[in-house]
Amino acid sequence: MEKKETRGQDGLTLEEAFARLEQVIEALESREISLEDSFRIYQEGMNLLKLCNDKIDRVEKKILVINGEGGLDEF
Amino acid sequence: MQKVYSVGQINSYIKDMFDQDFVLSRIGIRGEVSNCKYHTSGHIYFSLKDESGSIACVMFAGARKGLAFRLINGQQVVVRGSVSVYERGGSYQMYARQIQLDGAGLLYERYLALKQELEDMGMFAAEYKRPLPFYVKRLGVVTAPTGAAIRDIINISTRRNPWIQIILYPALVQGQGAAESIAQGIRVLDRAGVDVMIIGRGGGSIEDLWAFNEEIVARAVFACRTPVISAVGHETDTTISDFVADLRAPTPSAAAELAVADVRGLLGQMELYRERMRRAMVRRTENLRQRLLGSQMRLSHASPGQRLNAGRQRLLELENRLQERMQANLREKRHHVLICAEKLRGLSPSAKLAAGYGFITDENGKRVYSAGQVRQQDLLTIYVADGLIRVRVEEAVPDGGSQYGKDRDGEDQYGEERDAGTGRADA
Repeated sequence: MEKKETRGQDGLTLEEAFARLEQVIEALESREISLEDSFRIYQEGMNLLKLCNDKIDRVEKKILVINGEGGLDEF
Repeated sequence: MQKVYSVGQINSYIKDMFDQDFVLSRIGIRGEVSNCKYHTSGHIYFSLKDESGSIACVMFAGARKGLAFRLINGQQVVVRGSVSVYERGGSYQMYARQIQLDGAGLLYERYLALKQELEDMGMFAAEYKRPLPFYVKRLGVVTAPTGAAIRDIINISTRRNPWIQIILYPALVQGQGAAESIAQGIRVLDRAGVDVMIIGRGGGSIEDLWAFNEEIVARAVFACRTPVISAVGHETDTTISDFVADLRAPTPSAAAELAVADVRGLLGQMELYRERMRRAMVRRTENLRQRLLGSQMRLSHASPGQRLNAGRQRLLELENRLQERMQANLREKRHHVLICAEKLRGLSPSAKLAAGYGFITDENGKRVYSAGQVRQQDLLTIYVADGLIRVRVEEAVPDGGSQYGKDRDGEDQYGEERDAGTGRADA
């Protein structure tokens, strides 16, 4: 099924970014990973967090009313 | 002649007949309301009519809880109650205990038929249900612009995410043209592009909710590319749009809860992720730092410099012990010397002379220590502390058990010193 959620430039939705973050953290918390990998993964995690943050836009919006022709007015 | 009765007797008799009738005492009558009057006493007087005639009805104030809407002329209703006689007027009438709008039964049959038809077409099938997006930025709402539903949706949505964009299609949700208006709203919002759509309205009678049971609405929901949440009436109300929609919510408020992600929860989750990543990195680097320190320590223990140092240390210790030992030996020897000197002082011949003893020699200067060494008239010299005395022997009497001999034996261990002392005395 098609997802309506807007995708970022890297093609991830917020949900996918969250899912990837879970993986990243699991990898980071495992003992097998090398130091170099852990730095790389940490960097990826921080980028994902920034992506999530960017996706949650923090602008308050007026409630809009749409008419039959698709025109928008304030409610 | 036949018996003659009073009016009261007859009316009473007829009333008894009515009241004893099983059917009339518990009956429902369908008809159209006319001559409706709400009396100030709280009683409602009206007539029910159909093509063939009419019947007078009354609903007493005490029975008003059986009426959930305002009765107006022209309504098709079903009145339940009893038919009895009003003796003062000599007329019979319906005593209403419950009045319902008619058509419910009819509508319900239509509802079931359409539901079955759409279900047979597969419009309720699970494989057509789209998942709701995880995070909704634009929320479309098709409902009346006035009323509780839109207020509830706005309140809940903005509480969960104050930055959400809500776009309302103000639809007619009941009465003539409502179904067309709702279907149009779904199409308009689908074209305008929203992440998810809520269609619905607050509670009402089955007639009020009817538009959401119309096929045109069902088809619009089914055709809509945007995920649709249907939230019509109360929890107990189920409409066809609920079945077609991607998700059914019991109320408009619940629909908003389902549609809009709790943004504080998301931000909190992100903080949690950030903290977990930070802790994992700190733990990892701390762990490596500890290992580094451990290795450094072990390396420096094993280094040649460290061995050299250890050797130096050992050397120093040995040197110290040597020194100490030497010092101790010296001290012991010195002490021994002192003791010997002290003992020597005790054995010194001059000290003995000073104590009043004498040292006897013969004419040749040879020491005399035995009576057997001398004879009568031998000339002996006795040395004393302050000079010498020459004497001639009167008599020599050897005596083996003499005290002098024992003394001499006891001092044998000092023989060497004694000889040395003798030597000194001779000189």
